[in-house]
Amino acid sequence: MKRIRLSWLPAHVLAWGYAALLLIPVYYFLASAFKDNGAIFSSPLGLPTSLSPDNFTRAFDLGGLGNAVTNSALVTVGGLAVTLFLALPASFALARSTGRAARVMERAFSLGFLVPTFAALFPTFLLAAATGLFHTRTFMVLLLPATAMPLSVVLLTQFMRTVPPELEEAARMDGAGTLAVLRHIYAPISMPGIAAVVLLNFLNFWNEYLYSLIIIGPDPDQRTTQLALPTLVSTSGTDYGVLTAATVLTLLPVYVVYTVLQRRMQAALVSGAVKM
Amino acid sequence: MPRVSLPSPALNRRRFLATAAGGLIAPALAGCGSLTSGYEPDGLVLHSQLGGSTPGAPAFAAAVDTFRKRNPRTPVKVLSNADDLQQVYETSKLAGKEADIVLVNLYDKSLAWTEVGATVPVNGHMKRWGLHERVLQGPLREWTDGKGRLRGFPYLRTNWPVAFNTTLLERAGVDGVPTTVDQLLTAAKKLRRKGISPVTIGGNDWSGQKLLLQVMQTYMRPAEAKEVMRTGDFSGSRGARRGLELFVELRKGGVFADSAQGLTSDLMTTQVSTQKAAIASMLSSAMGKVPRSAAEHITVGGWPVPDDAVYERPTIMRANASLGMWISPNGEEKIDRVERFIRFMYSEEIVSRFVHGGRDMALRTDQFSTEYPLVAAGQKLTSDDVSECVTPDVYVPAAATQPLIQATGVAFSPGSDARKVRTALEKAYRSAGA
Repeated sequence: MKRIRLSWLPAHVLAWGYAALLLIPVYYFLASAFKDNGAIFSSPLGLPTSLSPDNFTRAFDLGGLGNAVTNSALVTVGGLAVTLFLALPASFALARSTGRAARVMERAFSLGFLVPTFAALFPTFLLAAATGLFHTRTFMVLLLPATAMPLSVVLLTQFMRTVPPELEEAARMDGAGTLAVLRHIYAPISMPGIAAVVLLNFLNFWNEYLYSLIIIGPDPDQRTTQLALPTLVSTSGTDYGVLTAATVLTLLPVYVVYTVLQRRMQAALVSGAVKM
Repeated sequence: MPRVSLPSPALNRRRFLATAAGGLIAPALAGCGSLTSGYEPDGLVLHSQLGGSTPGAPAFAAAVDTFRKRNPRTPVKVLSNADDLQQVYETSKLAGKEADIVLVNLYDKSLAWTEVGATVPVNGHMKRWGLHERVLQGPLREWTDGKGRLRGFPYLRTNWPVAFNTTLLERAGVDGVPTTVDQLLTAAKKLRRKGISPVTIGGNDWSGQKLLLQVMQTYMRPAEAKEVMRTGDFSGSRGARRGLELFVELRKGGVFADSAQGLTSDLMTTQVSTQKAAIASMLSSAMGKVPRSAAEHITVGGWPVPDDAVYERPTIMRANASLGMWISPNGEEKIDRVERFIRFMYSEEIVSRFVHGGRDMALRTDQFSTEYPLVAAGQKLTSDDVSECVTPDVYVPAAATQPLIQATGVAFSPGSDARKVRTALEKAYRSAGA
């Protein structure tokens, strides 16, 4: 018994060491949100001397975070809704089809992975200008799902292929139409995959910066958190306490969503369907 | 066989939740006011770098509020960006949705705006509105391009003095503020012995580029320095070559903070504010960010020069071409409202707000900041105290600005000799096609 424990020691050391590697920056980050520059640089890992919310309130005011978080939420939730609305039926159709056209279509979605983000920037800008949606969040709500479709469709298609066809046959015999089959058979069984798609896309949409900078632009009433945060950086001297406080505030929604969806995500990862 | 559950109470609940969520999101996104960026065809749109935690941002916000109260029929929309403003403005201009007035520095990309029609020359407006006399000669000169076009209305300017923490110098046994290169080298050794960084500098950004070019000017008259900055012909100027050798000598003498090639202006200000470094060549606006606890130990002066320098006294730069108000083609179409706003910003009342907010003005005023003693001290430096050398901003071609900043890191990197530094700087100009 003792030998078994000893043999596990390196694993414990590595696991705890890795956990510390992850936790120390998080601690540094949280502690800094309650300090001023002097304290951050003189004792980076020291405990804050007070838990005053001053940095948070200043971050909220200076960075206009109230509007920014709302805008990020609107763009992200809107983008996710459109993504699921398009990806679910597309994956459903691809998963059930066996013809050559379906294979070509599936590969066409996969080709989306090959388009570099930066390469699409200028055409996207021209599209936004031509549609009259430049400097609007609405364009981002429409654009983000387009960027997410390759991953979402490929992932969900793999999940839906694991649904036994007998289930659909039974449903059909009970009088279910195509939409009902999608809603009541495929969607519930693919829920871990849907959760994975939602979580991955949530992180991408929430953290998107480059396209938001160019498309949404400079309007404080429109901009997302990723555009609001840099306004707290000043070349003539940044208040790092305020900056970290603002970053903590903008990370909270990410943490909440991850906490809610992590089990489903883990289930999806171990179920084999995402191992492509 | 599994039972297929068709519409059920659970599904109704889901449908209800989906409808409710859609009901909340759709109006928020589709509501007219929130869907578009709020450009007011009958109002005025300002695009400003004076936002967030930028020095002068509160003064600007208060000024806009006052303007709104006095002009209730002119809705004013304020857009803001930090360092990315120029890029955002340019894409807005391409889409024809640019703001009417842009408040940004004459630097980097904006140097080319008048030439390419991104903004309009304001010579005529300045004359018609009788604002010429309000502007200092230095800024007026630098805001005028090679073709005689006034690129915008100069507003802020920046002093670039050197901050000396006298308490740290005393602790290291340095008597007085160094004014010569020999004194600086001696001070650096003493400071290092006490574990204090001598000169902190953002060797990774524009602040390092400024100091490099400031030191390089030690052996160059202003006319020669301007020519070298325009052309990038560092090898062709004996003064530039000697200046770069001096810079390398200072670096080898331990004058600059460790790993200066990785520091930024932001971290430089932080090191001064936390009294980790004794000396820094700083923008006056950055000095306004130094907390009072550190500021009371700091005196301002110029960069030490050797006996055989072309300048008699320690040097400083005065960036006349700091922030100004540019008029866009959209703004030109509502010039009456633009005029009202610019006249308002040029009024003594508003200028005074900025002065007391810790900014240096490109406009005539006899006021000094009381809240920001270091900023005021920089303003009060005269030719009896310091010699003014050339600020590179308007002489370095726009396309070469960023490559030159990237090349600056080589100068601060240990092991780079003067020839290597010179080659890197010249390569930066060549890569930019300058």
